[in-house]
Amino acid sequence: MGTVVSFDVRFAPALPEMPWVALARARAALRRADAVFSTWKENSPMSCLRRGELELSEAPEVVRDVLELCAEARRWSGGWFDPWAMPGGVDPTGLVKGWAAQKALGELVAAGVSGALVNAAGDIASHGGPEPGTAWRVGVQDPFAADRLACVVELTGAIATSGTYERGAHLVDPHTGRPAARLASASVCGPDLALADAMATALMVAGEGGVDLLADLPGYEAYLIRLDGSVRPTSGFPIVAGAGT
Amino acid sequence: MRRAPVVLGSTAVGLVAILGFHTHGSTVSLVQPGGTSPAAGSQGSSTSQGSSSSASTGAGSLSSGTGPSGSVSGSSSTTPTTAASTAAARSAVGADEQTQYGAVQVKVTVVGSRITAIQTVQLSAFDPRSAQINAAAAPMLQQEALSAQSANINGVSGASYTSAAYIASLQSALDQLGFK
Repeated sequence: MGTVVSFDVRFAPALPEMPWVALARARAALRRADAVFSTWKENSPMSCLRRGELELSEAPEVVRDVLELCAEARRWSGGWFDPWAMPGGVDPTGLVKGWAAQKALGELVAAGVSGALVNAAGDIASHGGPEPGTAWRVGVQDPFAADRLACVVELTGAIATSGTYERGAHLVDPHTGRPAARLASASVCGPDLALADAMATALMVAGEGGVDLLADLPGYEAYLIRLDGSVRPTSGFPIVAGAGT
Repeated sequence: MRRAPVVLGSTAVGLVAILGFHTHGSTVSLVQPGGTSPAAGSQGSSTSQGSSSSASTGAGSLSSGTGPSGSVSGSSSTTPTTAASTAAARSAVGADEQTQYGAVQVKVTVVGSRITAIQTVQLSAFDPRSAQINAAAAPMLQQEALSAQSANINGVSGASYTSAAYIASLQSALDQLGFK
């Protein structure tokens, strides 16, 4: 299975370090995350943990860090995002892609680039903008027509989208253990992609009522597309009026 | 004085590197000179790629992985150059890339140094679920590839299924055209 991560990096010529070096570090961060957390790789620490061949105390520290983040996201999501309720054992996949992309972005930000967009196959972490004083513009996929956008947002931070049309979305209702999707798609933007990713997954399963959970999360906004195609953005969702679609 | 890693007069360069994640090493990179940078946009012609030497022409290339790799740069995009209006459209069909879910093959059309269209010529799947996902993902991948050249959108948030095979086929089509 292929997941593709794309980078868009903008920088001033006077940068102290060649941006390719920072990009190489960003890519290395993704590869490390893949090596540790891939549930597709039989011998990754995560796979061993799931099979019970590895104790959490023996796992790499980063595994414990991510599972702690998962526990936090489970709390914020009112239990609708629950890696421990996945069939086949604990599975942080719903958060780890966003987490890895956010880490990769961190490498670029640390290098002093003026703008960076890390797009982990539709889950996007960003910094700055394409030009000084501008914001990154990102389209939200229309879940009913793959060649159309539902809306365009001006991004500050991250955006994650979960939809019924994606593979491996882990859209499982933690209360029943069965697959569930109560929306056509859910997009969540906010400061951190790991949490946005987890909350988008949670909203897909929880349905529209779950949007109240974001009230306790300053800076996080949602754009829900119902199964009938109607939409519900939260009040602060950064839509660009009349753009793109 | 330090030599700027980007073309003289340009204050920013756009760089799109696509790499595999959860893949088996088939990676390619797409490189785009700054879409809104007048200097990069006026380059107009494709430039030779390879290691860091390309940095001085306004586009850097990054490629990695053990699979087929390459780089693509397109002069873009807010100011269509006259070169684009005189250059003929050229097309090529990429390799038939097999995945565990089915086959992917794309056709790409370029005008000058700009990708103008990407069509899916073959998209088979071994099961209905994959067929459904492929049908949804292919246009999105097309949009992603084209939007890399667009001044209006910098990315698309959506389906998390994207295919390294799609990009590999796209790359092989671009290679046939000598598109750098």
